[in-house]
Amino acid sequence: MSARYGMVIDLDRCTGCGACMVACAAENNVPALPARATDRTGLTPMLVHKVSNGVEGAGRREAFIPVACMHCANETPCVSVCPQQAVEVDKSTGIVMQIPQRCLGCRYCMTACPYHARYFNWWDPAWPPGMEKTLNPGVATRMRGVVEKCNLCHARLHSAMEKAAASGKKDIDMADYVPACVEACPTGAIQFGDLANPDDPASQAAHSPEAFRLLARLGTDPKTYYKSRQAWVRALAERSPAGHAAEAQNV
Amino acid sequence: MKVSRRDLLLGTAGLTAGIFFTPVPWKLLDDVSIWTQNWPWIPQPPRGPVSTKLASCTLCASGCALRVRMAAGFPVGISGSASHPLTKGALCPLGFAAHQLNWHPVRLREVRHKGRSASWDEARAAFEKACSEGPVGIVDGRSGRAASAALRSFAANRNGTYEIALGAEERALAPLAQWSSLPIHSLGYDLENTRTIVSFGAPLLDGWGIPGRFTRLWSERAAGQSDPQLRIIQIEPALSRTGSGAWRWVPICQGTEALLAASLARILIEERLVSITAPLPPASVAEAAIQTGLTPTAIRELAHTIAERRPTLVLSSDENPAVAALNLLLGSVGAPGGIVKRADRRTVPDAAPAQPLRAVLLDSTVPWEYRPQGSMEVFRFAAWDGGGNSADWLLPAPGFLEEPTDLPTPPTSAVATYAIAPNILTAPFPVKTAAEFLLQIDSTLPTLDQTVHARCEEIFRMRRGTIHADKRTPVTSLASAGKLEESLRAGGVWLDEPASSHGLPCALKEWPAGDPRHRSGNWANTWAPPVMPPLAAKLYQESSLRETPQRSQS
Repeated sequence: MSARYGMVIDLDRCTGCGACMVACAAENNVPALPARATDRTGLTPMLVHKVSNGVEGAGRREAFIPVACMHCANETPCVSVCPQQAVEVDKSTGIVMQIPQRCLGCRYCMTACPYHARYFNWWDPAWPPGMEKTLNPGVATRMRGVVEKCNLCHARLHSAMEKAAASGKKDIDMADYVPACVEACPTGAIQFGDLANPDDPASQAAHSPEAFRLLARLGTDPKTYYKSRQAWVRALAERSPAGHAAEAQNV
Repeated sequence: MKVSRRDLLLGTAGLTAGIFFTPVPWKLLDDVSIWTQNWPWIPQPPRGPVSTKLASCTLCASGCALRVRMAAGFPVGISGSASHPLTKGALCPLGFAAHQLNWHPVRLREVRHKGRSASWDEARAAFEKACSEGPVGIVDGRSGRAASAALRSFAANRNGTYEIALGAEERALAPLAQWSSLPIHSLGYDLENTRTIVSFGAPLLDGWGIPGRFTRLWSERAAGQSDPQLRIIQIEPALSRTGSGAWRWVPICQGTEALLAASLARILIEERLVSITAPLPPASVAEAAIQTGLTPTAIRELAHTIAERRPTLVLSSDENPAVAALNLLLGSVGAPGGIVKRADRRTVPDAAPAQPLRAVLLDSTVPWEYRPQGSMEVFRFAAWDGGGNSADWLLPAPGFLEEPTDLPTPPTSAVATYAIAPNILTAPFPVKTAAEFLLQIDSTLPTLDQTVHARCEEIFRMRRGTIHADKRTPVTSLASAGKLEESLRAGGVWLDEPASSHGLPCALKEWPAGDPRHRSGNWANTWAPPVMPPLAAKLYQESSLRETPQRSQS
């Protein structure tokens, strides 16, 4: 039976600390870029956007929306535009895979992605001398000129599959497969699991009345769900979080 | 055989058509693609056996428990250890990339004297000369460690001074320590049992206290709830992360925290919202309303709110006696859910005699920004050169995970803890801790192992508390102090039993004046190294999530 791995992020519990971003970068060997890199040219497979309710004074409230690849299941926009077949949807897991060896860097997928969750690698990966010894051996470094994004810590999935196979099991133990951002969240705001399994806590959270998805009207069936009890946060669901963050900055 | 033009064209057409039916070009294309992703100058991850080691973070006083993934002898990944009783697996954002710090470009790799390269022997000779010429001062940034015992003993043996550079959370407790005549290090916050927290600018959700302790509590009892079990009222001029996550955010004018605290106290006393008697603050509500920017009605409502659901804990971002005094009025000192006394064996350093010092030695735990007052010679231990430092001598100290040390109770904890952090790396060049440096000069100082053994024996004799590791082991079930030390060295954390909440008599003769200085909480304030891990750039450079901290970047 195919799995459908996804996340449920409780926005009311997100403090915007950024631990998920740093843990993601460390796990996936994402380098720190030169000082001229910005939020537009940086490499942040997991990016936390700061949004506000637009009110000034005591009524002002702010929230944080972590955005990574949504692993869209229906007519995945990045898959359909890629001329190189460098983006594939793994039918057995639902993970949208980016294959850097095939990518020619045309960036059509970045344009097609409604969530701005893809990043072009503008620079050769570089670390200060000696720091390459701290790279994660489970993940290969990527050259400049390719597009990068979240792959739900695929290396961890492989480790869990190897462990299951070694013990003669067909299915992985979900305790063995926890993406780095989920593991890092100090408030437990991110739940991860098999959304196709009705007994999975993440699946149950995804079907709760408080759950919603960003840009759900596009019908791409994203596998990242969000939760919030705040009406103004829920109202942002139909808008691009990146666009709203830019508006908030201008304010 | 004669090849005609027709044969050539046929052959070319056939070859072209055939190419599409063979895998060769596709294989070549694939190989070229892979080849172009593996240029020899692109760094590759290390190859070697992978293992996991338990360790503790020593980059701030919290001492978070770590699970360090090692490959080929190097740390390649860090995660929190859920067995730690206080942090429960949480780490700060910087902790996840801390294993890269040892290779930071500004790592201090050699002894430097006034900017020039020097040797350890020269540094030692210079310090010994300074000791012979006059009293020396020793400054410790994290007291209660085994190394601290050596630093303190050296100062005592040489008729010098021993000073502790306190953090913001510890300074906030200073007024209560003064009123109760107890050392600051024996006071903590019973956050788990409180119902209302009034924070005057303390960055509760942004690096305050022990990572994981408060954020988990907030997540479980307050986040997103309209009527939460734990009410957090954040009082500060600008909306912060804590303000956004708080039950109420009260914006006031900058520097008026003490005045607001005094007016709240006045209302609490005059309207008999509290039963405790205290000196009436001189500030009137009308005056506070003008200064703070709040209306008198809003101040009254705030006073009623903080007295409504008790225990109420009042926290300050830094030392502010007027804010701290509200705890006395609300009966939160020495009571469950308030400020409690914990069993901590640290002693208060003697008051520094007013004498000019010939030299001062700063331990690597002292914040980089610390500047000794006076014109003495400064010996500064540090693992990284944060730049702009006026120390005469910069002495390379062990970096992240390179120093074996013990970890006393972190600030703000309500119960005493003790852990031992092994070193799992060795610096590739000569480094020394301040204690090792002093031990070479004075061999009578207690060594790290001696102090750790003594501490373990003391805990064993008390027969209290539990060792938290993969499983929990009561100290009473351990056969000897040696076994206790063994389990601590294997990554366990000793957690004392909660101390009795009673027994904190505090007397207030007059309402204290406030501290009008505004100290904004920086998210990296508790981070001891003067540099940030390069990956922190994801937070402040490659995103708009945070302001650029005043730290060196690679």
